[in-house]
Amino acid sequence: MTALPKFSFSGATLAFGQKPILRNISFDIPAGQFTCIIGASGCGKTTALRLAAGLYQPTQGAVLFDGEPMSAPRADVAIVFQDYGKALLPWRTAFGNVSLAMEAGGVPKAGRADRIEELLALVGLAGQGGKYPTEMSGGMQQRLQIARCLAQNPSVLLMDEPFGALDAMTRQGLQDEVLELVARTQTTVIFVTHDLEEAIYLGDRVIGLLPHPGRVGIDVPVNLPRPRDQLATREEPEFLRLRRELFDFIKGSEA
Amino acid sequence: MRYLLTSGLMGRGVSVLVAAGVVWIWLLISRSGAISPLFLPGPDKAWASLLRGFENGVLLRQTLGTLQHMFFGWLVASVVAVGLGSVIGISPLARRIFSPLLEFLRPLPASAVIPIAIAFMGLSNAMAIFVITFGTLWPILLSTVQGFSSVEPRLYEVAKALRMGRIETIRKIVLPSALPDILAGMRISVTAALILSVVCEMIAGLDGLGHYIMVSARLYRSPDLFAGVILLGAIGYVSSTLVSMAEARLLRWRDRGH
Amino acid sequence: MSAAAVPRLRVNWLGLALPAGLLLALELWLRLSNITTESLAPPSEVFVTLLENLANGRLPAATLKTLTGAFGGLLMGGIPGLLLGIAFALVPALDRAMEVTIEALRPIPSVALLPVALMVFGFGYGMEFAIVGKSCFFMMLILTRAAVRGVEPRLREVSRVLRLSKPAMVWKIILPAILPRLFVAFRLGASLALVVSVTIEIAVNPQGLGYEIMTAREALRPDLMLACFIWIGLVGLGLNAGLLLAQRKLFGRAALAGEGVK
Repeated sequence: MTALPKFSFSGATLAFGQKPILRNISFDIPAGQFTCIIGASGCGKTTALRLAAGLYQPTQGAVLFDGEPMSAPRADVAIVFQDYGKALLPWRTAFGNVSLAMEAGGVPKAGRADRIEELLALVGLAGQGGKYPTEMSGGMQQRLQIARCLAQNPSVLLMDEPFGALDAMTRQGLQDEVLELVARTQTTVIFVTHDLEEAIYLGDRVIGLLPHPGRVGIDVPVNLPRPRDQLATREEPEFLRLRRELFDFIKGSEA
Repeated sequence: MRYLLTSGLMGRGVSVLVAAGVVWIWLLISRSGAISPLFLPGPDKAWASLLRGFENGVLLRQTLGTLQHMFFGWLVASVVAVGLGSVIGISPLARRIFSPLLEFLRPLPASAVIPIAIAFMGLSNAMAIFVITFGTLWPILLSTVQGFSSVEPRLYEVAKALRMGRIETIRKIVLPSALPDILAGMRISVTAALILSVVCEMIAGLDGLGHYIMVSARLYRSPDLFAGVILLGAIGYVSSTLVSMAEARLLRWRDRGH
Repeated sequence: MSAAAVPRLRVNWLGLALPAGLLLALELWLRLSNITTESLAPPSEVFVTLLENLANGRLPAATLKTLTGAFGGLLMGGIPGLLLGIAFALVPALDRAMEVTIEALRPIPSVALLPVALMVFGFGYGMEFAIVGKSCFFMMLILTRAAVRGVEPRLREVSRVLRLSKPAMVWKIILPAILPRLFVAFRLGASLALVVSVTIEIAVNPQGLGYEIMTAREALRPDLMLACFIWIGLVGLGLNAGLLLAQRKLFGRAALAGEGVK
């Protein structure tokens, strides 16, 4: 690996007061990689993602982005929250919610409308710009949040259990759409999930955290051909082998 | 759906008939002479007095007087309360400084400041505006603080992730988020504003319906008195309906879908 | 915000500094400038007047009259309001039939009926009961109706399955279920009743605390006027705090949720 890693966690440790949350987290994420983070509940995977977003600062160690410390949120790093119902502005339409990211990024008003329509179409919400979040299904709301993140033109997309609250059918559809989107835009992704199969299906690599305090317990590459397929990929021997390995890891971490 | 619609209209029709029946019974009682017309003039007499009052312009002037007191007091209170409430809502320090004083002033009957206001400002319109402002301040202030402190924490993270500044965060996230609470406070306050206008006009003899009905009672002109009461009821109904409509318009994002 | 919600023994010195500072500044200003005014008195003087008038029975007697007017009106208006609220919630047809009448009467400001009550009852308790009663009637009606409507539908289904008669359902299911919310309504009603009775006394009725504060102003006694003002504030605060405490003791958190009663 010759190029500088996009993200570099080096010995990142975080404590809230006396309570240790994460201890000595170290890994590099090269540009363009799709990394999934898994772990039992309470292992701090969501906290690790917030460190990457610059929402929290490590108490020791560092989180580097393109070699620079991630001391505050950046425009080219976007985060998709799990609870889309809380992360969208209920008083703004779909259009207005995407617009928020552009207003914050200082995009002049003249160029916004076309770009917003383009982004809404990209996530499958063409013509839905006038709707309020409360008028949309969970899946549509999460697409909208993704559109808002894309409006930042991010080189990195951080996703915090984005499909956790959706039904199985919607989830599979969105998984494929995210893969397609990422392939087209060459975006680096860190994807937190508690669903092992989702992690294997989506990722180039899966990092498993151990709980209390959170630390890296396993780091495996996923050598499955792309594009992935909901039926064929999940039947590959490699998929099943990884599922077994990660399942055992989670079981062991809870013991 | 159609069934619901017709039954809703039916219900409304029955309801109007019941109200008409109440007025009719009122008419019968007043005609029967069971209650002296001094205490209970017939609805026909009250209505006639209402029309006469508007024809000769007396009631119009009194109505405008009451509306002015109400509106200006409420407006000043809204501006002060939203401003102060925002500061208290945002800054824990300001909250600590102000909360004991506000805790004492809040349950205080607003009318108790009338004597003090009169001592300072005399029997003037300024006194009335001050009293109405004081009395209508608390619901708006408390609901503004409440609205500011109950902003969804996730939205602060969104603002931070989008690198929005403090002012931009307040303008685009916090204020719209607190708006339902602020408007609810303003709706409660508009009723209080009418009550205090009437009281101030009664005590200070200011132009307005409060003064008009008091004088009518003293002169035993009960049709005029009832006309004034009906008019005050109408003002109460229209003002709170207007605020509710403004509320529904501004918060139309709230009741869509499920 | 509420003082009762703050963990005990944590004194908010910073918050107390503001009123204390204001009082001190007022005291110094009035003492040092040596002006005579009909609208202000040094806080120390107000405090002494307050104690004097509490000791000589003047304020306690007035307080008793005001509270009698407030609670008398609360009971006379509140109980019919409560019964009608239950009836409206249980019989939607009745609710719909009375809708326009209620909508027409409710927005009439209670004080607008003051001249009418004055003509009918003259000065005294009668007018106070009538006006306070009008305010509390509508408040209890609305709050009780909402409370009954908020009763867990499953409980009503249970009573239907058990084939309880309507009166038995009201007595055994509805009333116990809405009791915490009724107490909240009672507490809000009591605050409203106090405000309305003081207002009536300030406006026309020559008795009670409202009348005391008005006569103090007319007698150019700013110390007594401000003492009355402070006392009215304390009575309001005490009433609210007492009922809030009773609510917590009796119902705990259930009063807020409106469910989970014995």
